[in-house]
Amino acid sequence: MGKIEWAMWANEQALAAGLILLTGGIVGVAGQFRDWEFAAYGVAAGVFICFLEYPRGMRNKGTSVERTGQYCLTVCVKAFGPVTRNYYVRAGLHAALCVPGAFILPTVLGCVCLAIASIIYLVAAIRGEQWLPILPKKTEKRVEMGKSIAYPPQNPPPRPPPELRRKRAEDLEGAAYVNPIAVTANE
Amino acid sequence: MALSWKSWIANEGGKHLILVMWLGANAWLFWRTFILYYSGPQYYYLHKMLGLGLCISRASASVLNLNCSLVLLPMCRSLLTCLRGSQKLVSRKGRRLLDKSKAFHVACGVAICVFSVVHVLAHLTNVLSFSVRYSEEFPSLNVAHHRGEDPRIIILTTVPGVTGVLLVLILFLMFTASSYGIRVSNYEIFWYTHNLFFVFYIVLLVHVIGGALKYQTNVDAHPPGCFRPNRTSPEPRPSPKSEWEPVLPGSEWPMGGDGFNSICKEDARFQAHFPETWLWVSGPLCLYCAERLYRYVRSSTPVTVVSVVSHPCDVIEVRMVKKRFKARPGQYVVLNCPSVSSLEGHPFTLTACPTERKATFGIHLRVLGDWTERFTELLLPDPCMNSEILPIVQQRRYPKLYIDGPFGSPSEEVFNYEVSLCVAGGIGVTPFASVLNALLDEWQWYKLRRVYFIWICRELQSFYWFADLLCAVHQKLWQDNRPDYLNIQLYLSKAEGLQNMSEERYQALSSRLLIGRPRWKVVFEEIGKANKHKRVGVFCCGPKGISKTLHKLCNSNHVFGTTFEYNKESFS
Repeated sequence: MGKIEWAMWANEQALAAGLILLTGGIVGVAGQFRDWEFAAYGVAAGVFICFLEYPRGMRNKGTSVERTGQYCLTVCVKAFGPVTRNYYVRAGLHAALCVPGAFILPTVLGCVCLAIASIIYLVAAIRGEQWLPILPKKTEKRVEMGKSIAYPPQNPPPRPPPELRRKRAEDLEGAAYVNPIAVTANE
Repeated sequence: MALSWKSWIANEGGKHLILVMWLGANAWLFWRTFILYYSGPQYYYLHKMLGLGLCISRASASVLNLNCSLVLLPMCRSLLTCLRGSQKLVSRKGRRLLDKSKAFHVACGVAICVFSVVHVLAHLTNVLSFSVRYSEEFPSLNVAHHRGEDPRIIILTTVPGVTGVLLVLILFLMFTASSYGIRVSNYEIFWYTHNLFFVFYIVLLVHVIGGALKYQTNVDAHPPGCFRPNRTSPEPRPSPKSEWEPVLPGSEWPMGGDGFNSICKEDARFQAHFPETWLWVSGPLCLYCAERLYRYVRSSTPVTVVSVVSHPCDVIEVRMVKKRFKARPGQYVVLNCPSVSSLEGHPFTLTACPTERKATFGIHLRVLGDWTERFTELLLPDPCMNSEILPIVQQRRYPKLYIDGPFGSPSEEVFNYEVSLCVAGGIGVTPFASVLNALLDEWQWYKLRRVYFIWICRELQSFYWFADLLCAVHQKLWQDNRPDYLNIQLYLSKAEGLQNMSEERYQALSSRLLIGRPRWKVVFEEIGKANKHKRVGVFCCGPKGISKTLHKLCNSNHVFGTTFEYNKESFS
């Protein structure tokens, strides 16, 4: 029940798929397989996908958990504007990127995982989600008071005007304070 | 706060010992299987065909066997609760280790992922080797149908291949949904994908019957590398270290390839392994399934809601009763309300446990997400009802509620220390509320001699959740002439303006109310000074910041010789 944000899961999957594609590509290039150009493509595509998917987007409600050190990549990804914000674009991009991985053996798994991530992104896009960057809030520096001191009062205490400050004998009730000693009239 | 060896060993020693043992077991298994496939004579021909990929893939498979069987055990929560409850069977140190069961589960899960990657990569090279080094000499050893067969076809047409791909996909789904961010934000994704584990295990059991890797059954009759008089051996025979001696056929030869000097009596025969994984996995899987069945049967009778009380700051208290329900203070239950959501279960700590005198038990829950909001709407009466009408005790239609549990938690150990420090943040006070309720009943029974209770809240109104309980316990202990048993400190961390609990009956609390955050070093020094050379149990149930500070302090040096043992409740 409740609204599930699919984009977050798709993001995790795409990041993992990028890593798998990268690993498969490295194995393919190192092992000098027959069509090792596809493996080299796998390495490049894997790196690109990791960079694109590393910064997490902001959640609609609740706190967003950032990945460590994602700020610089957030700025880069944000700079592309609507291309990276829209999830339809991402779904299509991942679907297109995964296809060449299917041609050689080491990158097949990366291809399949990326395809699954692309499907989940499509679901997220259909539900109208968007990628919004997590930017640090500007917090104003609070004065570091002693922690156990309550906040000081904001306004000065109310004072009546000077002529009413001293209690007048004829108007004891109207005064602003109570006198412990009896008031005598001004002689 | 310097780290102190004594404190560190008291706090972290047990955990790290288990970690080292587990790593050692994994390393030993990996090494042993690796050596077996590397130099075992029954794998000689297979090893020649596949190379290092065979050894690595089988070694990682044996590590996977171990971890797939271990990963289920920490999740048998009822079993762990029983172990916690049996004070004779398991010592306090053992029970502290049970607190880390979720962390152990995560460690085994990560190991499964890592070694799956290794296993898959090694098998990919195996598939390639099967294709490229197709053996005409021993046709039964082959998995490929002809030399140079496309490796992808080999994968997709064999049982281990297809099931392997399926296993990787399921593992991928489970793993990507288990990160901390997903669990915090969309727990349902984590829960539903993690329940795919059952499919994972079924497919795993099918994966190992494939029988792609075979061993040689007649090693004594056909020592590996022996001379076949009828055909020329395709590979050049390496010269043996020892001299070439004429030997009578039929005499014993040492293992390890020295069969070069002998003549084959018969052709090599190969056979697939008995699937060892079945032996590893079936035990824990059956145990876990039995445990789930037991929990399902136990939670199938609904509870009867006795009363619902609304407290300030979005907290409601629900009191219920259920036949044959027993719980110890500190345990939690999982609530399932089909009218709100049929599949979701939410954990809540019990704030009042059933005793011999009183069969009702209760939970306090804070309205924070959509499930709790909807649940509260169903429980509380309509706010738009006319309040002028006298409150009639009406048979209120409460929704049907099911309870799974109770399950154990670290806070049960409060009674097993002589001195305990209980730190609660906000609604995290609930486990300690059940402890205080138990003390109210019979404080003399327990080993506990002194409790330091520190409760930190953001708003003053929060303290009213348990103000009555605190005052009652305080009063009772004073009357029983144990004024130093319970030491209460209440902290109001966000203070705007002067706030105080002005009611007459809460005078005991208002004099113990402090504004601001606690200074933990001072608190620890105070406790250390008053309890020299004792073992103090520190229990924390609250936000991460407090928990981290307390943990660090427990590990640091203490001047008065007191040892602080840290126990933490963990959520999600």
